[in-house]
Amino acid sequence: MLIVKKQCCQGICTEWTRISYGGFLMNIEKKKLRELYTTMLRIRLFEERIVDLYARGLVPGLAHLYLGEEAVATGICAVLRDDDYITSTHRGHGHVIAKGADLKNMMAELFGKKTGYCKGKGGSMHIADMEIGILGANGIAGGGLPIATGAGMSAKWRGTDQVTACFFGDDASNNGTFHESLNLASLHKLPVIFVCENNLYGISVSQKMHQPIKDIAIRATGYDMPGVVVDGNDVIAVYKEAMKAVKRARAKEGPTLIECKTYRWRGHHEGDPNQGRRYRTKEEIEAWKRKDPIKQLTKTLIEERILTKKALAALEKEINQEIEQAVAFANESAFPKAEEMYEDVYIREGETE
Amino acid sequence: MIEKALDSYNAGEEKEPVATEVVLPMLGITVEKGKIVEWVKKEGDPVEKGEIIFIVEVEKATTEVESPASGILAKILVPEGVEVPVLTVVGIITEPGEKFSEDAVPQAQSPSSVDSVTMVTSQENASMAADGIDIIKAVPAARRMAREHDIHLRDISGTGPEGLIFARDVETMIARKARPSEVRASTLARRLAEKERVPLDEVTGSGVRDRIMRQDVQAFLKEPETTEMPLGTVIPMSTVRRVIARRMSESAFTAPHIYFFTDACLDPLLDFRSVVLPDLEKRFDIRVSINDFVIKAVALNIMDFPILNAQVNGDEIHIMPEVNVGLAVAMPEGLIVPAIRNADRSGLINIARQRIDLVQRARQGKLTLEEMERGTFTVSSLAQYDITHFTAILNPPQSGILSIGKTDEKLVMEKGQVTVKRVAQIGLSVDHRIIDGAMAADFLQNLKWKLERPSSTFLTV
Amino acid sequence: MREITYAQALNEALKECMKEDERVVLLGEDIGRYGGIFQVSAGLLDEFGPKRVMDTPISEAAFVGGCIGAALTGMRPVVEIMFIDFTTVCMDMIINQMAKMHYMFGGRGRVPMVLRVNIGAGRGAAAQHSQSFHALFMHIPGLLVVTPSTPYDAKGLMIEAVKNDNPVIFVEHKKLYAEKGPVPEESYRIPFGKADVKREGRDLTIVATHAMVLRALAIAEEASKKGIDVEIIDPRTLTPLDRQTIFSSVKKTGRLLVADEGHKTCGVAAEISAMVAEEMIYFLKAPILRVCSPDTPVPFSPPLEQAYIPDEKDLLPAILHLMEYA
Repeated sequence: MLIVKKQCCQGICTEWTRISYGGFLMNIEKKKLRELYTTMLRIRLFEERIVDLYARGLVPGLAHLYLGEEAVATGICAVLRDDDYITSTHRGHGHVIAKGADLKNMMAELFGKKTGYCKGKGGSMHIADMEIGILGANGIAGGGLPIATGAGMSAKWRGTDQVTACFFGDDASNNGTFHESLNLASLHKLPVIFVCENNLYGISVSQKMHQPIKDIAIRATGYDMPGVVVDGNDVIAVYKEAMKAVKRARAKEGPTLIECKTYRWRGHHEGDPNQGRRYRTKEEIEAWKRKDPIKQLTKTLIEERILTKKALAALEKEINQEIEQAVAFANESAFPKAEEMYEDVYIREGETE
Repeated sequence: MIEKALDSYNAGEEKEPVATEVVLPMLGITVEKGKIVEWVKKEGDPVEKGEIIFIVEVEKATTEVESPASGILAKILVPEGVEVPVLTVVGIITEPGEKFSEDAVPQAQSPSSVDSVTMVTSQENASMAADGIDIIKAVPAARRMAREHDIHLRDISGTGPEGLIFARDVETMIARKARPSEVRASTLARRLAEKERVPLDEVTGSGVRDRIMRQDVQAFLKEPETTEMPLGTVIPMSTVRRVIARRMSESAFTAPHIYFFTDACLDPLLDFRSVVLPDLEKRFDIRVSINDFVIKAVALNIMDFPILNAQVNGDEIHIMPEVNVGLAVAMPEGLIVPAIRNADRSGLINIARQRIDLVQRARQGKLTLEEMERGTFTVSSLAQYDITHFTAILNPPQSGILSIGKTDEKLVMEKGQVTVKRVAQIGLSVDHRIIDGAMAADFLQNLKWKLERPSSTFLTV
Repeated sequence: MREITYAQALNEALKECMKEDERVVLLGEDIGRYGGIFQVSAGLLDEFGPKRVMDTPISEAAFVGGCIGAALTGMRPVVEIMFIDFTTVCMDMIINQMAKMHYMFGGRGRVPMVLRVNIGAGRGAAAQHSQSFHALFMHIPGLLVVTPSTPYDAKGLMIEAVKNDNPVIFVEHKKLYAEKGPVPEESYRIPFGKADVKREGRDLTIVATHAMVLRALAIAEEASKKGIDVEIIDPRTLTPLDRQTIFSSVKKTGRLLVADEGHKTCGVAAEISAMVAEEMIYFLKAPILRVCSPDTPVPFSPPLEQAYIPDEKDLLPAILHLMEYA
């Protein structure tokens, strides 16, 4: 990556920084870079806190953490508006944070408290916020694909330019829903961005062992739509591809498949022994950790003097405070009462949201 | 956001040194325990957040656990080789330079306890009283109708296969009960009877072929009320009566009763009483009655035959620790049996006092439940009636009850001579589950002897 | 009143709803150009255009799931699955997504969609095209299950289903599509959870669904010649179920027969029987009987299929047996 400063200004006061990526110059607002960094750091620190909270038994059930993959959610969601949609996966904390979810409500939901996003009824894998377009994290692999396709259909029917980003994993691309959804979306030129987070494993089964291909993006050809491979740990690269795909979608030109090559640092779920070392080697994990998306961007930000080390530290502190407030909020909130189990199974006549 | 962060950073907020607990982490949703097989870091070692701090064995697999914080591993609380539940605090990490004190060990952070979820069952169990051992086959609706109309299923013959009682069979029975037997009566008589709620079955007819005429119904109505319960009245059972009814049936049908009778010559006792009575009256202002003597004699007898003071409790026989002799008191609403406490240890005066107080309060309805329930043996006297003897039903859960008939002058043979003696028949009913004939007989004859030898019996008072 | 078929009644209902609310769209295989294999959507493509009447590829998961996503984001789709048998292909979308989203999301997010399916054997369509396992959907909380038996019920219930904010499984019956009945011309809604007493009687209660209602009505005539007066209750919706009407009837007659075309084991009839036994046992003069399909896949050969389908030949002996309990 080549960084070029604008000629007529002095270092830090520059509004814009031109970043060369793969030979193409790209204007990107410094403000945007800071946002990308903040979002990734937010996801990183939140998830790290969950490691600890889960180990202490405060987060019941299952937790699938996004550590290592922050750049994907961040890069994609940075292009989306509040009224655009996303569908997420079982490993959804990163997506929903990037889309703007409130950490307090998230934490409360993870703790199972009634002040959580889903009133404690959904848990980690079902966090949703209709108001900022989060159509739910999904516990079924590939479950979000048809729903995202539907949101695309809906935008088309209603004549809006809303787009939908659909996150799913490498192994989910083997599921029927993937094929059916891409087919339907391409057929009707729906405004959907299919984002495959290829972290090389479907739980414990490596990509080599679950599909004959290496680049999932080539499957797009089968559905007559563009498919691109992107370094999922380079947030700017992801951002760039997302911009292209969203522009295409809003112009009603149809869907795109973006395959982000990335890696999860921890096991499939908390409790996966040795951070997934039953099926992954220490060397592989270490190698990917060296490609830490946050470290990469930090280097850029510091070298480019967009943020000082002090500012970065302050930002980290601030986010940690926000997280601690979220933990306190979750701790203080009450569990739902037993009777609440029976609520919201059906919508009663005249009931408003 | 960044500016704000910078501000608070520059303000240089102090961080309080705090020890971090190292817990045995959750290792998956089904795992409950784990054993540390190796502490990679030893006590006193510095440790970085994320570094491997110990290795835990869980279901034959080992997992490395990372340190949750940076600092010094100040204390290891759970050594290698010990199996502990997940979330146990196994070590403490302190800030470098922080002094670790034993009492600074924070309490194990237990997960916020979930209030026990009480599932509210929406069904209210309608429990119907059992008809005893039910070997009668009847459809549910038949059972309900029979119960509602107070008909016993065993009084119905079922027309279904294998005697199955159909609903219709019960309906038939109900109709039959409701329909008055075809009584011959004039229209006027019927009208009056209906108006005054007189059951025609009870009226004697004076007309042709016993036809009931109006004046017969009128005459029936004019009959003075001999008791408070005119014929044909339906009296709903009071609570007391219901309880009595239930307990009597309980007793009668649970405890097999055997009965024993003997004649007791009460001359000595009656004479004895007449001798001591004036003095006792003067000294204590109390009229000791024959019943008091009987109660005392019974209590003393029980000391010799404790099994008569016993109660059946499941598979056990409980010989009650106190001898509380109950005295049956007739009340308009039913028989009440308040018990005199510790009759074995009480003097005659005490017994008399208790008796007077209890009977008085019984008549006023002011007895406590304890006074009615503490009895271990009952004495029931119908001596004031012209009744020779009677068989009493045990007062559950007691195992013995004494019945006393009236004292009568009788011709008795004594030493070949005929004499007149005052004799009362006393009866003993016992629970044959725990008291057999010999024992009961022994008890009764001993009691008789005690009553017939008042001087020696009451000398031990 | 004019008489139209069950299929025509459904067609009218859909047309009404689509005219009134442009958010109502139809999806399914062969529903557009072909008009649906039972002609329920005949003429709708011409009237509303391909944007609102969409022929889909054979991708049940995608288009049923798609309807879920569309419903979540402001549309009111009505999707057809050609036979209830094919719902197996997109069970995840129905059971794990459609039914549960409103609940899992804490009451936020609604899925106002109608999933139309049909049941019933009798056309020689064999094991994979003739099943009646609508009980599966009655078992899943979050789904409403509608079972019309007449054209009148079909139209009113369909309009209600489209306007209802809950996800609805609308279960039609292959052999009822051609049945005629009186249907008002105007639009009307039949509320969910309200059973219909199709015939009043004193001696025994038959709770029946779909075609079993018609078969029960036919046999009731037979039975009345024998002096047996049969009462027939059509629940019309399985979720929510009108328990009170069923209970009142059982209280009156004391004898219950439940007739449903699903398999006997763990079917709709089993649930209704258990429910009545639980709450009304002391009003039963006789055991509860069920008339259902046997616990076998649907056989092909016509005499076998005829034996398979529960109808008058099974209802009459059951009625007579119940009447033996005086």
